[in-house]
Amino acid sequence: MKYDQAFQEILSASPYRPMKAKIVKANKVTEHEKFFRIELEGKKELGHLPGQFVQASLFGYGEAPISICSSSTQKEYFDLTVRKLGTVTSALHKLESGDTIGIRGPFGNGFPLDKMLGNNILIVAGGLGIVPLRSLIQYILDKRKDFGEVQILLGCKTPKDMLFGDEIASWQKRADIKFNCTVDKADPDWKGNVGLITSLIPGVTIRPKQTYAVVVGPPIMYKFVILEFLKKEIPARQIIVSLERKMKCGLGKCGHCQIRNVYVCQCGPVFTFEQLREMEGECHEGECHV
Amino acid sequence: MKYAIINRMDMGRWFDSLKDRGKIYGPKKKESAYVFRPIQEFEEMSLKYIPTILPPKKYYFPQKEFLLKFKINPFSTGKAIREFEEFILFGVHTCDIAGIQCMDVVFNEKPADPNYLNRKEKMTIIGLECMDYCDKYASCAAVGTHVYKGGYDIMLTDLGDEYAIHINSEKGDKLVTGKKYIREMNAKDKEKLNKAFEEKLKKFNNEFDGDMERIDKAFEKGFFSPVWKDLGARCVGCTNCTAVCPTCYCFDVVDEVSLNLNDGDRYRVWNYCQMDDFAKVSTGEDFRAGRDARQRHRYYRKFKYSVQKYNKYFCTGCGRCTRTCMAKISLVETINQLLSGKEAK
Amino acid sequence: MSKPKPKVAFFEFTDCEGCQLQVANLGASLLELAKVVDIVNFREIMSEAGEEYDVLVVEGSVASKHDEERLKKIASKAKVIVAMGACATIGGVNNLKNLKPLAEQKKAVYGSVDPVPDAIETKSIDEVVHVDYYVHGCPIYGPEFLKVMECVLLGKPYNVPQYPVCVECKQNENVCAYEKGQFCLGPVTKAGCNSWLPNYGSVCVGCRGLIDNPAADAQKDILQKYGLTVEGILDKFTLYCNGKKERAKYGKESQK
Repeated sequence: MKYDQAFQEILSASPYRPMKAKIVKANKVTEHEKFFRIELEGKKELGHLPGQFVQASLFGYGEAPISICSSSTQKEYFDLTVRKLGTVTSALHKLESGDTIGIRGPFGNGFPLDKMLGNNILIVAGGLGIVPLRSLIQYILDKRKDFGEVQILLGCKTPKDMLFGDEIASWQKRADIKFNCTVDKADPDWKGNVGLITSLIPGVTIRPKQTYAVVVGPPIMYKFVILEFLKKEIPARQIIVSLERKMKCGLGKCGHCQIRNVYVCQCGPVFTFEQLREMEGECHEGECHV
Repeated sequence: MKYAIINRMDMGRWFDSLKDRGKIYGPKKKESAYVFRPIQEFEEMSLKYIPTILPPKKYYFPQKEFLLKFKINPFSTGKAIREFEEFILFGVHTCDIAGIQCMDVVFNEKPADPNYLNRKEKMTIIGLECMDYCDKYASCAAVGTHVYKGGYDIMLTDLGDEYAIHINSEKGDKLVTGKKYIREMNAKDKEKLNKAFEEKLKKFNNEFDGDMERIDKAFEKGFFSPVWKDLGARCVGCTNCTAVCPTCYCFDVVDEVSLNLNDGDRYRVWNYCQMDDFAKVSTGEDFRAGRDARQRHRYYRKFKYSVQKYNKYFCTGCGRCTRTCMAKISLVETINQLLSGKEAK
Repeated sequence: MSKPKPKVAFFEFTDCEGCQLQVANLGASLLELAKVVDIVNFREIMSEAGEEYDVLVVEGSVASKHDEERLKKIASKAKVIVAMGACATIGGVNNLKNLKPLAEQKKAVYGSVDPVPDAIETKSIDEVVHVDYYVHGCPIYGPEFLKVMECVLLGKPYNVPQYPVCVECKQNENVCAYEKGQFCLGPVTKAGCNSWLPNYGSVCVGCRGLIDNPAADAQKDILQKYGLTVEGILDKFTLYCNGKKERAKYGKESQK
């Protein structure tokens, strides 16, 4: 049998085979979330873009799609923050520094950095949305001068649920970004805003045509935040979201993450509001019924 | 030699000569239905058959397929691809060959799927042309799969006392050359074949109430059609329509660990968009709740999304989904209802 | 690898012990299992009974006050509880007793004397104690039992399939019972048994319980076509299941 070389390569490499990786740091950061810093074997570079995800592979338990929460400017390792929800994430929570896991990826498109470059950036993070957005924020901060004005709005349920507290404190102090946050429910020590994240947007001043507005959060949040963006007259193609779906193979084959004709694991998870509108009827009602 | 002729009496002989080329699978009667099974003797097969319960897909995209071997501690992955054996699919209808062609584009698309490509590489397809409808559920004329258009090594056409053989690959050529009882096709045979083909075409007519251009348009504007609500109300969610479809390829990935709790295998298993939890994520959000949305998704994957992505209809007209549906949801009726254009309010 | 092996105990309540027999019949796989766990209480294959255990496998339903107290006591010692077989998971055939008021049933069976003053309505074990793992079926399907044990030992949940038996039956390429004019509960019964009965030419009898989200309205049409009713399905299920729970899935009130 003769095979050409490309075919031969396809036959020998399995995209289902995870790379070996080591957990070099593991911290429980909230009641439900754990932070992992991960190094691929041989300190190989993952080569990801902000907004992409990996499949964390735990043999015996399966795989879970996890957003990468560190910037691609950091090459020797990458970070994951995992909420304990299903079989795989529960098992992941038991792992500590020094343990080995499998990694497949990176998968997905990531944030459209090429388009965002040279524009003003408004980032709105709700709840766990800060996890994928951290990769973008870190990237922007590392290449700060390549972007215009940067504003970050953050919302979470209670002060206890806030992730990356120390890092956020450092963002607050920076002169080159505007930062504001709010909690749905305060505790006695909380001195900041109380209320939904949408309440922060009207107070923001932006030049809509030069602004890319990025929002990541639970599906139901999108509708309300996007409405506020539209009130500010930000064009639909400059409104950017990242969708959660059941990514399983990451290869655009297994079908679980499909929205209409779009495989989220390949064409997403990052979409513009313009694209979301075209998926009407298959999106979560919070995502595109504006 | 592109076309050849074999006498019906010699088919058994020829079949025997194929045995050393690999395991042979062919259609066989099972109670009131037909199934593809390993075949030892030519006579075991029922070559006049309506599409089998499962398409031959089970041989190139198995219900449960090994992906890789692993060890939990110390972490290691074993050989990802096992050796595959040569095999022959005998008597495959043109609709099912169309199904294989659909799977080809899916699994060849980057990142390509080595498991599928490996199996495909070992597969020899001997097709069998249908000279008439298998039953009333087929809609192969509408999508044009009632005639052969490549995708096989050899195609057999029943001409009564003889079979016409169309050779479509080197692999196919090797199966017929050097056989004394197989002769090259002459002009007279060719005429007979053409005539049979003409007669056949008279029997097949577009099963839908409109041509594919109209169907494209119907799907373009039919996303919110009441047709889907109606299907949703009738569908029981048994998943049979997707299980028997020759172009459904959705899957799930599962780990199986041996009782030493350290060695295991990762498999992929058939999974269907008609399942309740298919698009449900661990936060509990179900992104395709409702049997109406799931049925619509199935139809759109066959008639619209695949056209957008691969310029190909992923319905082969085999009629299996209609045949197997307990709720008697008929593909032809659904398409015709959609064509009738009753718009959502 | 000197970690102590988890101790597994099997206890039976009101049942036929047929599920334990299925475990005993696992043969080589059971010996494999015995390498990684200590089986400390198993009446069908052992004479000596141990005292301590980590994993409790319960077979049978709760049918008396005494059963109830005993189960609570046994369960309090276990870290993980596995309900094994239809009697334990959904009540099983003992549910038939619940079709009529207890006093009426007693009278029908025993006449005027009451040799079982202790008897109560049949309960599945999760009506008495918390259950971590379910192995459905009457009897259980051996390979599924092993899969569940694998999950127990790895400490991961076992998700009972929520899709119907049809999924497995089609993959096994069986001719549909409905095509043969038979009434099969496959379309509404939880899968996981690899369509055991249909594989042998029989029909599914629903021993694993009704799926959680049956399409009630759609079924009405189909059942009518075959001259059947939802009530008919529920009647069939009462052979194995707690009727109350199953009726609720169809949005129906309990009959009693």
